[in-house]
Amino acid sequence: MKKQLSIFLLLTAASIFAVHAQAQVIVIANPSVKATEISKNDLRDVFTGNATSLPDGSRVVPILLKTGTAHEEFLQAYIGKNDSAYRAGWRSLVFSGQASMPKSLDGDAAVVEFVAHNASAIGYIGKASPHEGVKILTVK
Amino acid sequence: MNRLFVGALALAILRGGTSINAQSLDDLNIQIHGYATQGFLYSTQNNFFTTNSSNGSPAWTEAVVNLTSQPDPKLRVGVQARYFMLGNYGNAITLDWAMADYKFKEKFGVRFGKVKSPTGLWNELQDIDPSYIWSLLPQGVYPIGSRNSLLSHYGGVAYGTYNLGQSLGKLDLRAFGGERVLGTNDGFLLPQKEAGMILPNGMNGVTFGGSLRWRTPLDGLMLGASDNSQLAMVNPVMFTIPAGPIAGTYTGTQRLSPFNVLYYFGKYEKDKVMVAGEYSRLPIHLLLTYPLPVGLVPIKNDQHTWYGMASYKVTGKLTVGVYDTQLVTHSAPLGPARYSKDWVISGRYDFSQFIYAKAEQHFMDGTAADYDADMNPDGIKPTSKLTILKIGVSF
Repeated sequence: MKKQLSIFLLLTAASIFAVHAQAQVIVIANPSVKATEISKNDLRDVFTGNATSLPDGSRVVPILLKTGTAHEEFLQAYIGKNDSAYRAGWRSLVFSGQASMPKSLDGDAAVVEFVAHNASAIGYIGKASPHEGVKILTVK
Repeated sequence: MNRLFVGALALAILRGGTSINAQSLDDLNIQIHGYATQGFLYSTQNNFFTTNSSNGSPAWTEAVVNLTSQPDPKLRVGVQARYFMLGNYGNAITLDWAMADYKFKEKFGVRFGKVKSPTGLWNELQDIDPSYIWSLLPQGVYPIGSRNSLLSHYGGVAYGTYNLGQSLGKLDLRAFGGERVLGTNDGFLLPQKEAGMILPNGMNGVTFGGSLRWRTPLDGLMLGASDNSQLAMVNPVMFTIPAGPIAGTYTGTQRLSPFNVLYYFGKYEKDKVMVAGEYSRLPIHLLLTYPLPVGLVPIKNDQHTWYGMASYKVTGKLTVGVYDTQLVTHSAPLGPARYSKDWVISGRYDFSQFIYAKAEQHFMDGTAADYDADMNPDGIKPTSKLTILKIGVSF
């Protein structure tokens, strides 16, 4: 019984942490992107190089953060890989000639600036960061 | 034919180049990436492939650089060159791929030039050491001595992804065609070369095929199959008999009959776990035709290979894995030359996103793969162990 209670508490804590992680990152896009929401699967396909457009046909270009809490939380919540595994996946595509490496920028402000001024750009930032000039995509 | 494709590619690159004046380098999205690895091999009983691994050999070096440009959102052009040396093999710079890729939409894109062949689970990635944990992929399916020949072809690939809906997942389809070229130093030709049979032009012939990958609704599970049809390869061959009543040099023709290589594979990858498996069959019929008194020399080979592999990310930097692979040559007589079995334990440590190290232990049984007769003049022993250490950098 004690063991079951421990497992229950552990799972509860894990799920709270997962919700917490998702809540700390927002997905942003250039206003030219038609969609207002994106599924978790489509988001993962775009950010792992498996898709270059959304189901409505609009082309999107992923923009990454180089490092930081928002980057780690994004990978954990939506990609399911750590940074080294994630970048290894992109290297596979680059060295096999199937994709170009996405831009990696230094911080939230740089991502917002780039996404705001480049059609089709889609990125992610910390929830608390200013994000003028971009639209927020709701992740379903 | 190769010149035609390279010429077409050059035109595509020039076309991209003409727009440099109108666009900044940043707009062209020019990228340069590369990686380099240095391996060390130590084996018991036998020398592995063309190395002196039983004495400990550092003779395994690779360096790759690629240059890509995306002058238009739908167009990418690029080229990748490689220096490869494994023992007495390679020690040359070769072209991995050089291609233009135009993606009309998610459901349809084409790339042409020298392009990677989308066969099997790992073929397009088999040379990209930074992308996986293993130092050596299962050699029955991905022989390192023939890697340059099997990796890519001159021609094109059409590709597309089809969304089947949430309940059915997605299908990745690819079709390819062109010319397969096996250079004069390809590992496949090494036994013939060592037996005195020289193919001055290597081997070449028309190749085509397709690949289907189903990304199933079960998150992380992919199932797939591919087929590579190779039309006849007919090439001149020279054969020298040094002594005896029919001593002399004979010039003839080598004909490799058309064949299909089938692959069935699956991979499950989620969070820290990766599990994969593959089966393939390689049936080969060679007919060597020489003037009399040598005459016709038929060679048959029918290889069946499978493997199962799994890896687990222990920490963000450490990954461990294991695989078991077996190759059986159905046309060979009973004994160690009929099979090759390999149990493998592997580990990889990523010091940073740019530097990593690998360690791998092979427990090999059978002699149907992995060994070169000339490097084992006292005969190939039926069992051997191989230890590989490797360090790599990528950018």
